[in-house]
Amino acid sequence: MRMQWRVIKLETRSAASNMAVDNAIMDGIKAGTSGPTMRFYRWMPSAVSIGRFQSMEEEVNVARCKELGVSYVRRITGGGAVYHDSEGEITYSVIAPEEEFPKNIIESYRLICGWVISGLASLGISAEFAPINDIIVKGKKISGNAQARKEGVLLQHGTVLYSTNLKRMFSLLKVSSEKISDKMIKNAEDRVTRVTDHADTTLDGLYDALLAGFVEGKDYEFGALDHDEAAKAEDLAGKVYAADSWNFSR
Amino acid sequence: MLICPSYKIFGVRLEGSAKMKVPGGKMVEVKVEFGEAVTKARILGDFFMYPDTALEGIESLLVGTQPQESEAAIAKRISTLVKLEGATMIGLTPEAIANVVKRAIENAMESNKA
Repeated sequence: MRMQWRVIKLETRSAASNMAVDNAIMDGIKAGTSGPTMRFYRWMPSAVSIGRFQSMEEEVNVARCKELGVSYVRRITGGGAVYHDSEGEITYSVIAPEEEFPKNIIESYRLICGWVISGLASLGISAEFAPINDIIVKGKKISGNAQARKEGVLLQHGTVLYSTNLKRMFSLLKVSSEKISDKMIKNAEDRVTRVTDHADTTLDGLYDALLAGFVEGKDYEFGALDHDEAAKAEDLAGKVYAADSWNFSR
Repeated sequence: MLICPSYKIFGVRLEGSAKMKVPGGKMVEVKVEFGEAVTKARILGDFFMYPDTALEGIESLLVGTQPQESEAAIAKRISTLVKLEGATMIGLTPEAIANVVKRAIENAMESNKA
């Protein structure tokens, strides 16, 4: 029997809430009360997320975040620090039983990143998967991805840069000392690219394209969090993802 | 004046860190606290590990590491634990962790000499 996906349409939440929703859905799938879900979202206020094993203090200019009203949060997925510009980026989560995906982790990245690549292709953007976990356009990163696998459930986070303010991004993410010179920061900017650098489309246009790429060939229906998921997410947002004890745990 | 390796001074707690970009992989940094042996180890980076709890197991395993222990021996211990726990590392290897652990210990000892 083909897997039936729940698709949660593009929505906007705080950093803590976005991470808590994913966690609540993972828990629901583990318990057998939630189904496979893909969701698309934005961050309000803008936020920096760091990988499961990173140090907040080493990766993020926390003082600058506070000055600009930018949130910060630790993900449960690995990978690196990401700036989620509230107006210039779309994030997605794919949450489903691990058994539905290749056991080989790189191959599972390749599969899900293929949905993003398909969506970008419909905008005329020729993107390719760059192992381990990136999608690139003309050699520059346009999407970063990160997975967690816990107790039989896979969660993949991914972000697609639409019109992210790169100067602001690199003022919030700490780069190692050798990259602090203007020259090196410029190089860091040169390593990433955005949808608006390649296609004339709106953020909604990008969302429509990604949605089409994700659901292509799948059984799905649009849905929302159920009562239990929403309650769990609210609890986790306050107790875990907004708490320094989690965000500064490394 | 008694000259002895700094790391053998009883009661002295040293701290050191080192990092590397794993060839073809991710960044990894190790921070150690160190007396006569490693008393605390923290492994940081943008790598992936499944399940995530395996990393804490490796950090615990590194406690007690002596400065004389070879990089290969440390890597072998990590590798054995990873296999036992059925863990998967992406962008990181036991050898890379061992290399950075050794350098973190060396840096801790050097900082005491300075």
